[in-house]
Amino acid sequence: MSEDRRSFLRKAAAGTAFVAVGGVLAKMLGEDFVLTARADGRPRLPPGQHAIEALKPMGGDEGDGTFEAFRLKVHGAVAKPFEVDYKALLQLPQVEKQADVHCVTKWSLLGGVWKGVQISALARLAEVKPEARFVILEGANGYTANVPMKEATADYALVTYRLNGKPFSIDHGAPVRGLIPDLYFWKSAKWLTGIRFVREDQPGYWETRGYHNHGDPWREERYG
Amino acid sequence: MAIRGAKNAMANTWRAWLRAIHRDIGYLAIGFTIIYAVSGIAQNHIGDWGDISYRSTERTITIAAIADAIPDDVAIKQVADAAALGTPTSSLRAGDEIRLGYGDGSQVTAIGTQVTIQSRERRPFIGLANWLHKARGKTAWKYIADGYALLLLYLAFSGIFMIKGRMGFRWRGATVIGIGVAIPVLYVALAGGPGRQTTHEPDEIVATPGSAAAPAAAPAPSGMRALPPDDE
Repeated sequence: MSEDRRSFLRKAAAGTAFVAVGGVLAKMLGEDFVLTARADGRPRLPPGQHAIEALKPMGGDEGDGTFEAFRLKVHGAVAKPFEVDYKALLQLPQVEKQADVHCVTKWSLLGGVWKGVQISALARLAEVKPEARFVILEGANGYTANVPMKEATADYALVTYRLNGKPFSIDHGAPVRGLIPDLYFWKSAKWLTGIRFVREDQPGYWETRGYHNHGDPWREERYG
Repeated sequence: MAIRGAKNAMANTWRAWLRAIHRDIGYLAIGFTIIYAVSGIAQNHIGDWGDISYRSTERTITIAAIADAIPDDVAIKQVADAAALGTPTSSLRAGDEIRLGYGDGSQVTAIGTQVTIQSRERRPFIGLANWLHKARGKTAWKYIADGYALLLLYLAFSGIFMIKGRMGFRWRGATVIGIGVAIPVLYVALAGGPGRQTTHEPDEIVATPGSAAAPAAAPAPSGMRALPPDDE
């Protein structure tokens, strides 16, 4: 009886050790993958972040969420402001970009494939004035996020409606959200309603509530 | 002696008023407190639990590929039949996708052979509590919530002076207030607190699209319309 008990404990300990070692190895291999450098030399995973498998819903004041109600205004310091509905957005030049996103709450989603229209393409269509230096992403119910022109017009900065081949659910900003991969994810406004080009910086919703005005994940610009 | 007696009577009177108002404001605040406390916990844990305001469902089904040559109305009917949610209230076919909308807010999106059906319904209490908690976009509620915050301030400050003696502010009260103040102060001290607010200036203006060569003039999509210029 006592031998059985000892044997059971030995097996249980061996099993626990096996699982623990396996977990550590899997984590190390995962870290190897995520620590691959980006094209700009910065690590895929910014400091303080951990990779997760799917976007987490982080709340917010939701918009209508339907494609029928969607309208996107491109305006501000532009020569030709315009508005598009969902169908017209899909008729503009489309791109598919692989990009990582990093939430200020420390999770990152790596390697997502996002489809949409480049903000730089919208800027060209609206003929942005040379003095515009910032872009304000406007979301439903007055949400705004300010982004310097450099990050907003990067190659993979998009107005996006699809991730990994699937439409967004409403809690992730359906039907269309912003995507600014170079900054913390709160800058990628959900339930997008407008792209406004401005001369002067205008701190947005979270930037005026204690979060950093810029939000660079590699500099850990989390809080203001 | 008479003066002291009058002072005591006055003190008792204002304390009695303080307590009476504290009591009634406490009653008034119960509904608000439940709403803000429950939704506050839900908001704190949104990263762990997701948004529990809604019961969401999402399912994907596979259909036969719809050729580009198939007319829009036929293609839309094929997707609607596959989704089996009844007659859609709206639909469009654009780019590589077909979208259907339904009266209950359900959305169906067909991309290639994959049809994603997204539906959800608001949970009765927590859904409304979370909705109320977020004052953005609700002008009147913002001021009602401000009023509740002022009531809380009254409860906090009046609570200090409600009782005199050993259980009052000077003894037990001061100790407990000290603990309450120390918790956030210690947290900030230990966590390092927020950094200094900086206004980021762009390193360089990489894109000046207005000056860049505009793409060749393509016909504007039908759902695109020009707007009058802003003040910017």
